[in-house]
Amino acid sequence: MNIKFSASVLLLFFTQIFFAQNADNGAKLFKQNCAVCHASHSDQKLTGPGLKGVFDRVPKPADEWLTKWILNNEKLIKSGDAYANKIYNENNKAAMTVFEGQLSENDVKDILAFLKAPPPASKNTPVAQSDNKQTSTAETEKSKGSNYLLIFLVIFVLVVLWISLRNVRIALQNVVNVKTGKPIYEPQSIGDEIKEWLVKNNRLVFVLSLIIVFVGMKSCWDELWKVGVYYDWKTQKGYKPEQPIKFSHKIHAGDNEIACQYCHNGVEKSKHSGIPTVNICMNCHKGIQEGHNTGKAEKAKIYAAAGYDPSTGKYDESKANPIRWIKVYNLPDHVYFSHQQHVVVGKLQCEQCHGNVKEMDVIEQKNPLTMKWCINCHRETEVQMAGNPYYDRLHAYLKEKYKGKRDVKFTVEKIGGLECGKCHY
Amino acid sequence: MNNNTPKKYWRGLPELHQSEEFLQQHQNEFAEEIPLDNSKDEGLKTNRRDFLKLMGFSTAAVALASCETPVNRVVPYVVKPEEIIPGVPNYYASTFYDGHDFASILVKAREGRPIKIDGNELSSINKGKTTARTQASILGLYDGARLNAPILNGKSVSWKEIDAAVKKALSEGSVRLLTSTVISPSLKALIQELSTTINDFKHIQWDEVSYSAIRSAHQKLIGKNIIPEYHFDKAKLIVGIACDFLGNWLNPVEFSREYALNRKVSKEAAEMSRHYHFESNMSLTGANADYRYMVKPSEFGKILVALYNAIAEKTGTNKLADANIQNKTIASAINKISEELIAHKGQSLVVCGVNDENLQAIVIGINQLLENYSKTIDTTITYHLKSGSDSDFLSLVEEMNAGKVKTLITYQVNPLYSAPAFTKFEDAYTKVTNKIHATNYLDETAQKANIVLANHHYLESWGDANPKTGIYTLQQPLIRPVFAAPKYEGTRQFEENLLAWTNKSEDYYTYIRNYWKANIFNLQNKDADFETFWVNALHDGIFESNPTILSEVVSSKENKKEDKKKGNKTNEESPKEKIELSTFASNAVSAKSADFELMVYEKVGMGNGNQSNNPWLMELPDPISKVVWDNYITVSLEDMDKLGFEKMLRQDKDGSIATLELNGIKIEVPVLPQPGQAPGTIGLALGYGRNAQTLKVAHQIGVNAYPFIQNSNGHFVTVSTGVKLSNTGKKHEFAQNQLQHTVMGREEWILREVSLPEFKAKDKEAFNPAAVILTAEGKKPVEEVDLWDQHPRPNHKWGLTIDMNACIGCSACVVSCSIENNVHVVGKEEVRKTRDMFWLRIDRYYSSDMTRKKAKEEGIGYKEMNLEMENPSANPKVTFQPIMCQHCNHAPCETVCPVLATAHSTEGLNQMVYNRCIGTRYCANNCPFKVRRFNWFNYTENWRFKDVNPAAQELTRMVLNPDVTVRSRGVIEKCSMCQQRIQAGKLQAKKEGRKLQDKDIQTACQQACPTNAIIFGDLNDENSEVVAWRKNERNYVLLEELGIRPTVSYLLKVRNVDEPLLDWNEELWYEKDKSEKSSNKEEAHA
Repeated sequence: MNIKFSASVLLLFFTQIFFAQNADNGAKLFKQNCAVCHASHSDQKLTGPGLKGVFDRVPKPADEWLTKWILNNEKLIKSGDAYANKIYNENNKAAMTVFEGQLSENDVKDILAFLKAPPPASKNTPVAQSDNKQTSTAETEKSKGSNYLLIFLVIFVLVVLWISLRNVRIALQNVVNVKTGKPIYEPQSIGDEIKEWLVKNNRLVFVLSLIIVFVGMKSCWDELWKVGVYYDWKTQKGYKPEQPIKFSHKIHAGDNEIACQYCHNGVEKSKHSGIPTVNICMNCHKGIQEGHNTGKAEKAKIYAAAGYDPSTGKYDESKANPIRWIKVYNLPDHVYFSHQQHVVVGKLQCEQCHGNVKEMDVIEQKNPLTMKWCINCHRETEVQMAGNPYYDRLHAYLKEKYKGKRDVKFTVEKIGGLECGKCHY
Repeated sequence: MNNNTPKKYWRGLPELHQSEEFLQQHQNEFAEEIPLDNSKDEGLKTNRRDFLKLMGFSTAAVALASCETPVNRVVPYVVKPEEIIPGVPNYYASTFYDGHDFASILVKAREGRPIKIDGNELSSINKGKTTARTQASILGLYDGARLNAPILNGKSVSWKEIDAAVKKALSEGSVRLLTSTVISPSLKALIQELSTTINDFKHIQWDEVSYSAIRSAHQKLIGKNIIPEYHFDKAKLIVGIACDFLGNWLNPVEFSREYALNRKVSKEAAEMSRHYHFESNMSLTGANADYRYMVKPSEFGKILVALYNAIAEKTGTNKLADANIQNKTIASAINKISEELIAHKGQSLVVCGVNDENLQAIVIGINQLLENYSKTIDTTITYHLKSGSDSDFLSLVEEMNAGKVKTLITYQVNPLYSAPAFTKFEDAYTKVTNKIHATNYLDETAQKANIVLANHHYLESWGDANPKTGIYTLQQPLIRPVFAAPKYEGTRQFEENLLAWTNKSEDYYTYIRNYWKANIFNLQNKDADFETFWVNALHDGIFESNPTILSEVVSSKENKKEDKKKGNKTNEESPKEKIELSTFASNAVSAKSADFELMVYEKVGMGNGNQSNNPWLMELPDPISKVVWDNYITVSLEDMDKLGFEKMLRQDKDGSIATLELNGIKIEVPVLPQPGQAPGTIGLALGYGRNAQTLKVAHQIGVNAYPFIQNSNGHFVTVSTGVKLSNTGKKHEFAQNQLQHTVMGREEWILREVSLPEFKAKDKEAFNPAAVILTAEGKKPVEEVDLWDQHPRPNHKWGLTIDMNACIGCSACVVSCSIENNVHVVGKEEVRKTRDMFWLRIDRYYSSDMTRKKAKEEGIGYKEMNLEMENPSANPKVTFQPIMCQHCNHAPCETVCPVLATAHSTEGLNQMVYNRCIGTRYCANNCPFKVRRFNWFNYTENWRFKDVNPAAQELTRMVLNPDVTVRSRGVIEKCSMCQQRIQAGKLQAKKEGRKLQDKDIQTACQQACPTNAIIFGDLNDENSEVVAWRKNERNYVLLEELGIRPTVSYLLKVRNVDEPLLDWNEELWYEKDKSEKSSNKEEAHA
């Protein structure tokens, strides 16, 4: 009996934890699949109706009906279900996506659990934080500027001090000379004095000038390496232009956890990851008309680009005008770079090259994009050969070649990833 | 102190006298004023010193400016079309038909703009292959010379005004529509509909290069007005009479594929077809023949009759009129051919390319004697291409002259350019009130027309085609019209015009769809509903009907027609009195010979000239003469000597200019010596001499050959006798990209060939020996001697093999390569300086009468032998050899590059890195194949190339392949074996997690090649086709003795001739080597 009881308590406990996990998973699934058309905990109508109180509206048992509807609404409509047809007609016969095959029944359960759970708290705090950060970086830049001024001032003061001390020295010398009856010391001009000093200490001068020339050349050389590279290794800061729309990756990819591929959807199919087209923006911003940071001003720019009038909710294609974004990650024309190669085959994460985009309000180049940088990565990154029959022949060859050697990584370099013709043609 | 110097030296009297003037001058640094301001007087804005200052500043400014960040914009779509992913090409099936050439095509589009055309693999005509002209036709889409608005009486107007004007003209009646052959069933139906609304309407079809005699000869002898289907693949013996079926005749892409099928031999399958050819000009087909005979055009008839008689005699049939052939070689050849033809009854094919009814009738007679009909010639399947009628055209001109034509609409023809001189079309044209011309360009006819309708390019239009019985293709637009509102009034496709004039509200797409629903849907039983059928047909671009269903439908239609005819008119339509073959024969034999006979021909690149504004085709070297950007007459070497023309053409020796005169037409035209040109004959190509200024590329290049076309019983024939030729003494600059005619006795290293009997009888060592090299340990095969270590090729080892038996020199690969790899077009002047940029060239070699064997036998010295070897024979054997970078495994170019700009990959490719290259050109110097090209200019920016280079104009730049770098000045470039395609193919396999399949990657040249002469693949893959090819006994590499180990290999040429061809190695090192080896063996035995 005891055992049974404790088992049931345990079960209850686990289901609760499970339930909580379900709601979290549901929230994630909802964001990925439903949020584009439905508001989860409000009445606001986006493309589809808001889902607040949905469990009270639909035919009972609500869970069962909703599961059927979500998985295959077409089937339900065709079956002649009265409420389904009513909803369909109320929404101008705009068909909802059929999720059968994409979502399992358990997934739907999770989503329903999420809808039943209380609405998540809104996140306003991070915005203020990011503002603080921006000001602080500006301050550091300012202080840097004042540093240079300070150095200049110090040098100036030292020079003035040296000249006045020299005069004092000459005056004192002359006082002594007058007293001892020696002839009055005729001061040389400053230039002559420096010359004399230089001649006296010619070895020191030689060494010093050698050092100066060397340092100068070295810094020239370093500067030349940076021509065309908009990235500072030391500060790890890169190209960060002001975009025509104040789009924040932090809000979209960070706070709202929208997957990168949702907008950059060419990344697995093409060499370009793709800049999202305006219709992708409109998927969400038809509903979300006000931003955390910028209010309505920036959204108005999206609507202008799409030719959308938020007051009437209608598109006018003739007024549509694409957004002219500024490209941040620029590669020279003679380089062939393919996103699909790196993301699908190489299984790299976006962050590896683009930095932690989730924390960037303004997108910034986070890597130098030089050939050295590319090649270093090719030298270090292991190729995931196992399980891909394409690499069978290579894999066997490399295993044979490095037989008995320890800690050998089959890197991109080892399969010819440093050859010029792989990227330049 | 001064007093102590007694002597005083002075430099002239002024100094002696110390005049005031002198003293003042003495103070100045320069004796005269410095001409600081003079330069300003000369119209210069700055003087030298200012210039230097300015230069200093500007250099500094440029240096500073170059350090700034360029702002690159990236502009996404507003609403992305679902099927377009930026960076991923889309492919659409469509149809290419310009009134002359037909092709079922697959168009590659990137980000919505078409960039490459290849053949549709589903089409039984194209089988994925194309010709040079089809490949190049894509550039016409972006041609800035195209009309962008319709023109009414010399002014650009709106389409509304045009429609009103045309409708008014049509309402007046007496309308004639002149087009080239219409193969679109929908357009035919539409014209039919239009005709019912107009009083006195006639549709005349006329082809600028006419095939009407084949149709009328078939009509008169067989009772069907057809061009039958020819099966070159079923023919073991082919006899051609001036018929360029590999280059231009009728449907070359189909014929050349079929022809090549029987030419690929190996030891296991050592049978190949034999090809005899009689012609006056050296054509592409003649160059590929096993036996080629030079005859005058006036003798074509006699030869055919003689051939008929010889066969008739041996088979016991009635002979025709006596041909009386004087030339003994020709006579004995005819005897030999007739015997072989009889031996190959039903497996042979005689074709003639002359548009003369008599000749075509005898050809039909011969093929009937040989029982070729229904075996190699199929009359149930017929070509709908080239169904124009020259006699209809002549009666149209008559009507026009009589003032009976009020309105003439011309479409897909340009009669003011292409009508023969004897028709006097230009005079007749002025007598027409309403001259309506539908065209893409402001061409010769458009300049004289009242109303010019600006056409869409075919890649902007809907359409369909029925080129051959049972084959229906669809044409779909790939792009919105390039010239369209609001910037331009825009273009409109011809069919849309007709719809507008018949007051139909539907668009042409709906019209085609409805037509297919009513007429073509019932030709199949696969798809039950029309929607599925339509979507499939549109996706495939082609629908090929099941023959049985087709015959049922066709026969039921024909029955209906016959019933109708019988009901209505009984006597009129009865077949004309059957003309006896003997009548044709006596006409054919009676042709009179003249001192000079002209034969007008088509070039592989230029065709009939409707694409002459295409720089790719202009720069494409003629496969025989290797001349670019030019039109010229070809004259035999013998006649060149007689008339004193310059025979030796070099960069420093210009060609002569002759006067060509015929029936009052007199033109001056450059002369090119052509080995293989029959003495007493002249060749002149069509398609040049365009006289429309808007055609910036083609304007006034060469001369127009159309006026020379003659009338022969109502058929326009390209032969004209009685031409007068004289030397003007003027000079002309030719641009050729190959000046060397022969291989100069280096056959074993470059151009191995063998006759079929030798190939069968001897073993590989005899006709394809491995090169040997003398080492300290005796002679060794080059393969075994190596200065360097072998590098591993662990994954792939790319290889390319070219079958020289299948290569016919058609140059489709050259154009395909240029398009795929953004190869620059440089224009005539640069080609003259040997600065052409082709990554792939086709070397054409003539045989010489002088051989090393002959020199040895006749005791001719080395120098004399070599001098004589430079001269090709009067009727040489011709070999085509495509040469691209050979990707040598021990590449000479790689070892000399000071900056490692060219290096080898682990996949066996010789890679060229443009961004590393500093342009020393050491590599080009060290390349034994001379395949490396240097960018002498920044062709995209330099004004000199603005008109000729597609990469230099904003609009034509659209055609560039975005996956390949456009090279700038100062770097070397060369064949990369389509590296971009290799990488794309590998990536696809990696992504799908599978092994790379054999045919996953095709190079551009391979994809275009109509004869499948090029194969690319992985040499590490034992099952690949390229490995199978390389096991062929014919496989060899060029310049093997250098030990450079090329990755490209060739299959040597086997000619189906009875005479031995192996004299190039019998007397030489190979024999010696063999005896040495055998003596070594004996020693070993002892």
